Parts: sequence; structure tokens; C-alpha cells
Amino acid sequence: MTTQLPPGMQLERVDERIMTLNVGPQHPGSGHMRLIIKVDGDYIVSCDPDPGYVHRGEEKMAEYRNYIQNIPHLERPVIHDSCNILYPYCLAVEELLGIEVPERAKYIRVIASELNRCVYTLYWLSIYGIFLGHSTMFMWPMGDRELLIDLLEALSGARVTHAYFVPGGVRNDTPSNFEERCLRQVNYFEKRLKEYEDIFYQNPVLKQRTEGTGILSRMDAIRLGTTGSVLRSAGVDFDIRKKEPYDVYENLDFQSQVLKEGDSYARSRVPYLDMLESCRIIKDALKKMPKSGSVRTKLKPNPKGGNDEAYRRVESGRGALGMYVVSDNKIEPYRVKISVGSFRNMICMPYLLKGEKLGNMPAVYWSLNYWPVEADR
Amino acid sequence: MSTIAPKFRLSRFVASLMNLILWILVLFTLIGLPLVFIVLFYIELPEINGELLTPYLALTWIADPSRTLPIIKSLLQTDFFRIAAFPGFGFAALLAAATIYIERKFLAKMQLRVGPLYCGKVEGILQLMSDGLKLISKEIIIPAKADKPIFWAAPLLFVGTAAALVSLIPVAPGWVVADVDVGLLAVFAVIGFFPIITVLSSWASNSKFPFIGGIRALHQMISFEIPLILSLLGIVILTGTLNLTEIVESQQHYWWIIFMPIGAIVFFITLLAELERIPFDLPEAESEIVAGWLTEFSGMMYGLVQLGSYVKLYAFAALFTILFLGGWSGPMVWPPFPQEIITEGITMGPITMKIPGLPLLDQEMLNATLWFVIKTVGVIMVILLPRGVFPRIRIDLLLHTGWYKLIGLAFVNIFIALALLYAGVLGPGGLIQ
Amino acid sequence: MSTVAGIIRALNSGVKHLAVKRFTLRYPEQKLKFVGDGFQFDPQTGVGIAGQKGRHILFHDKCTGCQLCAIACEGIAEAIAMVKVNNTWKHNKKAIMPQIDYGKCVFCGLCVDACPFYALYMTNDYELSSFTKEALIYTPSQLAVKPKVAQDVEIKIDDRGATHG
Repeated sequence: MTTQLPPGMQLERVDERIMTLNVGPQHPGSGHMRLIIKVDGDYIVSCDPDPGYVHRGEEKMAEYRNYIQNIPHLERPVIHDSCNILYPYCLAVEELLGIEVPERAKYIRVIASELNRCVYTLYWLSIYGIFLGHSTMFMWPMGDRELLIDLLEALSGARVTHAYFVPGGVRNDTPSNFEERCLRQVNYFEKRLKEYEDIFYQNPVLKQRTEGTGILSRMDAIRLGTTGSVLRSAGVDFDIRKKEPYDVYENLDFQSQVLKEGDSYARSRVPYLDMLESCRIIKDALKKMPKSGSVRTKLKPNPKGGNDEAYRRVESGRGALGMYVVSDNKIEPYRVKISVGSFRNMICMPYLLKGEKLGNMPAVYWSLNYWPVEADR
Repeated sequence: MSTIAPKFRLSRFVASLMNLILWILVLFTLIGLPLVFIVLFYIELPEINGELLTPYLALTWIADPSRTLPIIKSLLQTDFFRIAAFPGFGFAALLAAATIYIERKFLAKMQLRVGPLYCGKVEGILQLMSDGLKLISKEIIIPAKADKPIFWAAPLLFVGTAAALVSLIPVAPGWVVADVDVGLLAVFAVIGFFPIITVLSSWASNSKFPFIGGIRALHQMISFEIPLILSLLGIVILTGTLNLTEIVESQQHYWWIIFMPIGAIVFFITLLAELERIPFDLPEAESEIVAGWLTEFSGMMYGLVQLGSYVKLYAFAALFTILFLGGWSGPMVWPPFPQEIITEGITMGPITMKIPGLPLLDQEMLNATLWFVIKTVGVIMVILLPRGVFPRIRIDLLLHTGWYKLIGLAFVNIFIALALLYAGVLGPGGLIQ
Repeated sequence: MSTVAGIIRALNSGVKHLAVKRFTLRYPEQKLKFVGDGFQFDPQTGVGIAGQKGRHILFHDKCTGCQLCAIACEGIAEAIAMVKVNNTWKHNKKAIMPQIDYGKCVFCGLCVDACPFYALYMTNDYELSSFTKEALIYTPSQLAVKPKVAQDVEIKIDDRGATHG
């Protein structure tokens, strides 16, 4: 060919054996991203993830909003887990502006963050069930989510996109009978979680489909830079809530869940064990929470950070979520950089799917806990 | 509330009603009546009291209460009634429709949700009717490069083959559409036809996803046909006959499931695979290949395929009941027909009427049908249960199960049957009859 | 053998759940209950009062037309615009009040946080759909109406499962 191709495109020879499949954005088996998979018979030869379909320029738009107006804006990458994505932002801005957070607000933040983690993990688990063809596992987590979303609605006023955390604390105190309602519903939720064992995690058909597929060894997990449940399912004990505790996590009594195998089954099991731990954390925090106190430190109107920068990170449902906020003495931040667990874990996709059977593709791909909207920001 | 529908005017409504009635009358006279006569030309009409019963004669005689019931009884014995209503297609379609509704409610209850609720006053009973109406009203879209004759014929062939399977099944003693001496062999032949229809329809669709679905369906159905046939050989060895009615009658004292449980389990698993039900629903894997070999069917063609699929479900469940659970045998629970009505007639006030020809259907037949339906519904419930409990199996595990494990278990079953036969326990001249 | 035990346990779990009550909320025949009257904010303490973030309610006898709610919303959704109203009050000589476009509002509640005069709260009303986009723009007099929100059921948990009852 003598004509010049536009930059970024390349010619490929059409091979007789290898078929190129577009597991694209409009496919019942993928999220809003595209996987270009080359298949040789039943085996995947190469996999090329193509994210970017949901990119909205969150980081650039954050430079045009002041610190408080950024709250409903920056929670949009993950709307169910919105408290966990605002958490590092609030911590970083508190460091920049030098604000102290009252004790009761810290406990409420921990409770809201754990509830959000459970809500997101249940959503992920139900989609995992339907990718494998298990219709009951699609319906049960969606139903049990209602128990927790009901609590979040009572607490913050909205079912998703709570806009609840602010630099300085939380926006409002808990409603009147929140503690006993929360305890009742979290206890029932824990009972429902134990039902998932028999029908899903000990189901022989599921085990045959996911055990031994997509194995990520411990050294590879560290070398590729994975985070969150993917890292912990490969045998690395790294949970930011334990290693770099923020707010009141050092007072609370919980374990970080680690499994050694590193296959899809372990990756699908670690978030479930995390949810059981979250229930313990919520009950513990409800006990230890101070009964009264303010929940928000009043900020000066139009706060300005100095010529400073701050980076804080938090363990969200998908991995380490970090926010790097730079300010240059104006009411808007100069730069907000969001570092998300989904984008970091995406490197595993071409690495793990190579050489797998095509039937294992949904099991491996979705077990990496990838949320396309957050990865694209 | 809607801004699109025009306002109601009584004159327009009456005019449209008259228009509808006019069209119905015209079509009935011009097309319906001649069709009825042509059909009646070919059906054998029964003879009563030496006179041939034409429709006009039947209509005049039905007015006379002493002759109504013998006419209806003679109609019940005709072949046409057996094929169309009971125990043929009408009965199967009714049970299939009930199965679809029960499946949706059953799964919903297991998944802690409601299922159909709003269509019909009681918990959505009329949902199926509304689904059927919706499918009829949809446009049937055929892909441009599809193979049109086979594409149109495929759903009809599918329903036809399922109905052929239904026609071999005896529901009550003497009530079977096709009383074939080699009934079980005919069942195997009909079952062998299903993969052909699937592959033909997927190839005729000329599209990537049906192609993958059709190949998977072919692999699955072929690899499970052999265990299906082998698991039933045990019964044939012990009863010595292939006639389905005789197999049922040989289970008067004991059911075959007691002596051949392994055969029953193998037959049940291959049944799930032949019906393409979860956990074996690879051909229709929704999250991977959209809808498999049914992707390009739309409108009533899809409705026909679903009807055929559920009629097939009823047929297989009925087969399981006949072969392993004793068919229609069961204690007599149907109340006998009160003798006074036959001898003295019905008294309503001052009038006493004697109706000859009662009872319409005898007590034995009704009891047999009742037990058959109870057992078949039980088997259908057990078939519906894995749908809510298991995920989809992968193709290599499916083939491994079908070719290694199930054939092995079927052979174990045959050895057990042979051992029982040669030890003189069962079979002709055995200890247990 | 463990395969067979696993299969039987899974089937057992499925059958057990046939006895559990159904969880679905039959909206619109049943509507959820809310605690409280809607999201409110107390500018003196600087802390909000927990409540549902639904439609706004504007108290005409407190709004001074200071535009702080519109300025707060400018960076978020630009859903509040100040319009002229017919009456003048002593506390609102400019006679302007906020008009909220619910086609753009994201229901974050920061306008409620911004109001220093206890004039803008949020209510429990969430059924705001309409057939035209223009009907979604609520004028100040429409915002002054307190909504009647039907509230029937909440989550109840007993030993046969949780329901909305």
C-alpha cells in the first residue's frame, strides 16, 4: 500500500485460523468498554482492552469548580460507591486547608464508607452471576442491596450519588432512629450473605468453571501493580485500611481478607469475605461512636488552599483510590488527579486472558473487579 | 392522560364495531364455511343408529336431550379428537402454557421477587395470554440473506416434531394417539430429529451468533443422545417390550425407579440437556451469544419455538413418568359416578329428566388421567428447579460429562438390570412379578 | 462425592427459599415511608438535618433574593435562575426569587446549604415527571406549595424474611 495511514492505525494481515471478536460496548457480556479478542478455535490468542467510551473529563472539569462545588462533581465516576470516591478528596482537602474533623463525623464516615463498599460489591456480584448464567445470583444481591440503600437514603437523602462527605466532616447528622434500624438491617444482611455460600460459592458447577482459570501468581500481582481484592486474592496482605489507616480505622477491630490461590474463584470470593468484614466494622463502629457531638467543622466562606499539594488514598470496593489535589491559592484547585483501582487492574486483562478458553472469558474478565466508568473518569 | 389518542366519539366507535362485524361475516361466509366443508370431507364421520352423522344432523339431534350425550360420546372416540384435544396437542399445549406460567412464578418465589403480577386480577394469571397477543402483533423480520424456505419452515418443524413426540405417549389405558408396538424406538427416532432442526434453522439464519449457537446445540444434543438411549435399555431388558402402554402396565406392583435409580438419574440429566435447560443451556447462552440459534426469530415464529420447546418439556416429563414412575397407576381416588343419576335421572323441581348415555367418561380413565397429571407435574417441577440454582456449564465440561461419565453410569445401570434378570429376581418368571 | 453433596446442598438452598417472603415493593400501589420532612439546613450551626432530597420548597416570607443559591448551583448544574416576582416584601425589595429547572437539577442539596435565611429546604416529593420540558421548570410560586407525599410501607424483618409491609 502506498497511501499513508492516519496516525494510530495499522495494517493487519488476515489470518485464516485466527478470528477477531469484538466483545464491544453493545454486548450482553461486557461493561461499557471494548475488548478486541483474537481467537484461535477456542483459545484466546491475544486480548486488547479498549477503554475510553465513558471518558467525560472529570479531572479537567474539577479545575473550574471550587472545593465545595466539586463534591457532587467528583462523586460521578462511581455513583453507588460515591462516599468512597469522595473520601480521599475530603481527606486531601482537609490536609490542604488544615481542618480538623470531629470524632463523631469520623465514625459516621466509616459507617457510610463500609455501607457503600457493600452496595458496590453486591452490584458487582450480581453481574458476575448473570455473566455465568446464574439467574438467582443476579436477583438476590440486587434485592439485598435494597436493605443497605434504604439505610443510605435515610442517612444522606439519596439512594445513589449521596454527596454526603464534605471537607470538614459530613453534611448532616444521622436521623432519629438510625442506630437501631442500621443494626437490625445489617444483622439481617449478614444472615442473607451466609445464604450465598450454598448456592453460589460451594456450587460444584461454579467451582468447575472458575477454579484454576486466570491464575495470577503473587510475584506477578506485585510486579503488574494490581491493587485491592485482586492483590489480596493472590496472597499479598495489603489493605490500606490496615497499613495506612485513616480516620478511625485503627480503633476498629477487623481482619483484612487474603486468599492464596490467585484464580478467578479466589478473586470472586475476596470481595464477599470483605463484605462480611464490613458488617463487623459497621456494628463495631455503631457501638464505639460518640453519642453526640458536632458532625461538621464550619469552613470559612470560599476557602483557599495555599501553594500546596496533598495526596491521600483510601481502600474502595475496587482497590486503592487516591486523590492528588494541588492548589495555587485560589478557590478552585489547580489540579485534581484521580488514581483508580480499576485502571490499575486493567493491565491484568491482556496478561491473564492470553491462552484461556473463550468460555472462561466472562469469568476471568469480570472477576478483575473492573468498573468502566471509574476507569475512564 | 395520553396526548396521542384522539377523543372518544360514540358514533365513530359504533361505526368501527359495525365494520368489524361486517368483515367477520364476509370472511366467514366466503372462506370459513367452505373450509369447514372441505375439512369434513376428509374426516371420518361416526355412525349412530345406522345414520351417518353430518353436522346438520348433529345440530338437530343435539336439541333432543336424549340424544345429546351419545353424539358427544361418539365424537370423543374419534381420531380427530384424540389428535387435537386429548391426549394429543390440545392437552400438551395446555400443560405447556401452564408450565410457562408456573416456571415464572416458581423462579420468582425462589429469587424473592414477584414474577408476573399485574396482568389478570389474581397474581398475573393472564400474563401468557398477553404475551401471546403481543407476539402475534409483532412484525416478523427475516434477515436479507437468510435461506427463506428453511427459515420459515423451521419453527413449524420444531412444533411438529414436539407434537410427534407427544403423540406416542399414553395418558390413560387405551388413550394414546399412536399405539405403536415399537413405541420406545419411535421415541428415539423422533428425538434424533431435533438436532437437525436446530442446525438447519441456525444455518438458515445466516448470522454469526446463531451459527455459534447451532454448533453448540449440535454438540450438546448429539453427545447426550447416547446416554439417553442406553439408560433406557435396562427397562427394555427387564420388561421385554418396547410398547409404552405395556411398560406402564408392567409397573402395577412396583415402579421401575426403585430398581433402577441410576438409570433414572442418567435419564433425568440427559433430559435436561436435550431440553436445553439450565445448567445445559449453552445453545441459548444469553450473556455470551445473545440468544443462540433463536436470535433471528421474531414475532410469532419465536412464539412457536417457545411453544414447541415447552411441549417438548411436557413430552419428556411424561416419558419419565411412564418409564420410571408408573405412568397412570395409583390408588382409586376419583369418586364413582352416582348410580341414581343413571337409573332415575336428575330431579330439578317438578321435572325429572333421564339422560341416557351417562357417564361420559368412565371412572377408571379419569382416575388414570389424574394420577398421570399429578406425576408429570411433579417431574416438571423438579425439572424447573435447577434453573434457579445452577450457573451455566462450560462446553468442554459438558462434553466430558456426556461422553465419559454418563455413558459409564448408563452401562452400570445395564449391568444391574442384567444381574437382576439373570438372578431370577425380576422379569418373566422372576420372584417379584 | 463432594460434587454430589454440593449439588444436593445447592438444590436444598433453592427449595428452602420457596418459604421466604417476597421482597418486592409494589410501587405504585405501595410507596415507601420516609423519616422526617426532607433535607434541611441550619446556617447557625452549619450542619444539615437528615432527610430525603426531593423537590425544593421555598418560603416566600424568608427569601431575600440574595442569589446565594444560584451562585452555589452555577458550578454544579446551573439549574437555579433568579426571576422577578409580582409582590415585593420588606425583606425582598428587589423582588427576585429562585426558579429551579428540574431537568438540570442533580438534587445534591448544596443550594440548601448555601441559603443563610432558612428559606430553601427540600421535601420528600420525588414524583416529578412531566410530559414536556417546560413543565419541569418550577416557578417560585410553584415551589412554595408544600407537597402531599403518600407514604405507606417500610422494610420489615421477621423470621420468614424481609418484606415491604
